[in-house]
Amino acid sequence: MAPLGSKVVLAVALTACALQAQEKQVPPAPATPAPFTLPATRDIALPNGMKVTLVPYGALPLVTVSLVIRTGAIDEGRDQVWLSALVGDMLQQGTTTRSASALADAVAGMGGDLTIRVGNDDMTASGSVLGDSAAAFVRLVGDVVRHPSFPEAEMARLVGDRQRELAISMTQPQQIVAERYAKLMYPDHPYGRIYPTSQALGTYTTSQVREFYTRNVGATRAHLFVIGKFDSTAVEQAARTGFGDWAAGQPATVNVPTPHAQRSLVVVDRPGAVQSTLEIGIPVADPSSTDWIPLQVTDALLGGSFNSRITSDIRERKGYTYSPFSTVAAHYRTATWHESADVTTSATGASMKEIFGQIDSLRTTPPSADEVKGIQNYLAGVWVLRASTQTGLLGQLEFADSHGLDHAWLSDYIPRVYQVTPSDVRGMAEKYLDPSKMAIVVAGDKKVIADQLTPYGTPVQ
Amino acid sequence: MTWLRICAAIGLSASCVAAQSQKFSIPVSGGTVPNGLRYVLSPDHTTPIVTVAVYYHIGFRIEPRDRTGFAHLFEHLMFQGSQNLGKLEFVKLVQSNGGVLNGSTRFDFTNYFEIVPSNTLQTFLWAEADRMRSLAITQENLTNQQGVVKSEVRVNVLNRPYGGFPWLDMPQYANTNWYNAHNFYGDLRDIDAATLADAQAFHKTYYSPRNAVVVVTGDFDPSQAKAWIEQYFGNIPGTPLPTRPDLTEPKQQKEIRASKTDSLANRPALAFAYHMPPRNTPEYFAMGLIDQILLQGHDARLYQALVQRSGVTGDVSGGINLLGNMFDYEGPMVWTVSLFHDAGHSPDEILKRADVVIDSLRTVPVDAATLARARVKERAALYNILGGQLGFGRADLLACYALFDNNANYVNSLDSQFQIVTPAVILRTAKEYLRPTNRTVLTIVPGKPANGAVGK
Repeated sequence: MAPLGSKVVLAVALTACALQAQEKQVPPAPATPAPFTLPATRDIALPNGMKVTLVPYGALPLVTVSLVIRTGAIDEGRDQVWLSALVGDMLQQGTTTRSASALADAVAGMGGDLTIRVGNDDMTASGSVLGDSAAAFVRLVGDVVRHPSFPEAEMARLVGDRQRELAISMTQPQQIVAERYAKLMYPDHPYGRIYPTSQALGTYTTSQVREFYTRNVGATRAHLFVIGKFDSTAVEQAARTGFGDWAAGQPATVNVPTPHAQRSLVVVDRPGAVQSTLEIGIPVADPSSTDWIPLQVTDALLGGSFNSRITSDIRERKGYTYSPFSTVAAHYRTATWHESADVTTSATGASMKEIFGQIDSLRTTPPSADEVKGIQNYLAGVWVLRASTQTGLLGQLEFADSHGLDHAWLSDYIPRVYQVTPSDVRGMAEKYLDPSKMAIVVAGDKKVIADQLTPYGTPVQ
Repeated sequence: MTWLRICAAIGLSASCVAAQSQKFSIPVSGGTVPNGLRYVLSPDHTTPIVTVAVYYHIGFRIEPRDRTGFAHLFEHLMFQGSQNLGKLEFVKLVQSNGGVLNGSTRFDFTNYFEIVPSNTLQTFLWAEADRMRSLAITQENLTNQQGVVKSEVRVNVLNRPYGGFPWLDMPQYANTNWYNAHNFYGDLRDIDAATLADAQAFHKTYYSPRNAVVVVTGDFDPSQAKAWIEQYFGNIPGTPLPTRPDLTEPKQQKEIRASKTDSLANRPALAFAYHMPPRNTPEYFAMGLIDQILLQGHDARLYQALVQRSGVTGDVSGGINLLGNMFDYEGPMVWTVSLFHDAGHSPDEILKRADVVIDSLRTVPVDAATLARARVKERAALYNILGGQLGFGRADLLACYALFDNNANYVNSLDSQFQIVTPAVILRTAKEYLRPTNRTVLTIVPGKPANGAVGK
């Protein structure tokens, strides 16, 4: 079906004349799209190396503030998994002049909450507050990140909270699978260690937190984003006074891994499980590559959108699963493609057969121009939808920044999506999505699924 | 309520903006098509996108008694084909035009919405009208979606540690009226029992234009949208509405205690919930502020008592209406608090700590600084809802106030309703609604259930 184009116009004209009762009507064709450009940003470089990006945007009297610092799991040693997370937790326990509860009251009085999240490559202090509190919130974020008190008395409680989180995560099939998948993909690298052992977690100390902070948190690794309705002059002033005299510190760590690209099968036994949780993946090009955008089109067509081939197949035709999806997960200068699904236990092997069948088919036969056009429209449309919200636009700016891409990369995104051809899509699948080199992780009822998995390899420990 | 009628009387082409002196208000206009369909229009020209949302006044509360989970299963069927769009064609039409879509089944409504480029508004008003007019599905599609829905229940409840806690469980324990207290995700046997005839009857009864509201928000011309709505929806036959069952809950007189064993869990969990005051009363708005004072954000008293000071848990969560927000429901509701903890702390010890801060609100009028913070947080929370989910949050609130109260513009009075709540109203509300005898306590105990069954 093609909702765009001249054929549709013709069909609508016919409808207006005489039509047999059982003949289906065609949807009214869309009008000409309105132009869209990303909102202008004001980019400021502070003398200490910190970057500031201000984006006045939207009508709601809210502002989103996000301070991204280039550190995280990437800076953890082999026996320090989640230490960076505890640094984030400890940063929220107060500053040299304000207790944790005084900070909480101050932020609440601005209508928001301050949270610090730590990922593989980024530690992010962010919150959304009423627009007229933007400058005050920027100053407060500066105080929290620059002058932590790291109170010894809070450490045991925070470690206890992380122990509970770890224990609960290890009961969740999707988390169990994610852990094994990361370990397979990135052996002996921080990206491959997403959960610590309970024992290691129990040994972390305040002095390790302080040491990690001193080594990795500084102006040269920091980028402040402010998006929404706010007074630009006041916020710029707050950023300059709040961060201008922050020590530069060490540049961000660059540690690019070589991901694992060979067929492996890992099976985690969950006796009695009514579903099998699958993750099937392989290394692909990262966002700095010219293949990235063709890969996005390929992924959205294959499994990354509701109307994609794999989802249409194992959900809408077969009914094996509720929310299968594929995605390309990027780290700095490395990425993997993977398909994830929770499938009915008895259909574990059948689901894998369908998934690999869809991949094989795309590797041999280019999709139709109509199918590619539909996916291009989808990606371009979703790009605009995201850019229409403060957090969505923030995500786009942060993504480009964290991968060392400039604003031009963002504004060229939509034209580049439309440059991808059907033969590019087939070519991407052939180049990157080789089933014989894919890793497979399954958590399910081993005694029921073992036979179903036989065609896909011998399970490794 | 009268607002929509007044707008209808003065003509619908212009936006009717709330005549209130407050910081932020949204334009609201609308009307009623002769077949009974109501519509609400709220332009915002920030970016070239529009949201089209159709809300039907059928939530899972009032699904047929021998068909638990049917309202939700039916929601899936609305994507399986209509007169002019076959299975998956609706989805493809949205995606290939650069939009996203979803549907959801909630306590008091089922909704369908698309967020799409503004140049496609006509296309999607046509498409939504098509599936309001007719359901055209096959046994094969029904069987397929029974499989998908059962997979959904498995992934969200049966194969998941703490599955259904507390969002699916709590209403079943806290309520006594079957309509509020049944398993609305559905017994897998009931899901299997559904027939094509059930689906057609359900569509005819509840998906009538008279039982629905269409909302358009975003970058569009209201007079053009009105014309398209009348063109595409206007000739759908209006059918009389069924009588609505009695959804009221009796006043709770005694604390309820319930416990559930979860063989997939490894740490205990605790939730407690209180029945809410009736909607849109001073006490209801006071409960919104109480939620801010006790539960939302790191300054909240329960967070300070159970996380920051005692380390009982790493987070307390919850609120009013766990499947949405305090504005998008109609029938009886509970305010819920939940947390995960270690075996070293008993539920009674944790409740005792919670009661210290809850009782503080029931005995002493709230201080001015705390109240001021709560009002600011509530205002920001409201703005976040209105701007959230790619702007869909605005359509959601407009649809609910139109559907439940015939007064979409009520959304523009919400902030002022919170601002006028006094310490005396908060005290009175806490005394009556935060009574231990108005409370249900649910504990999750890790381990093997005695009878070998998983879940309730």
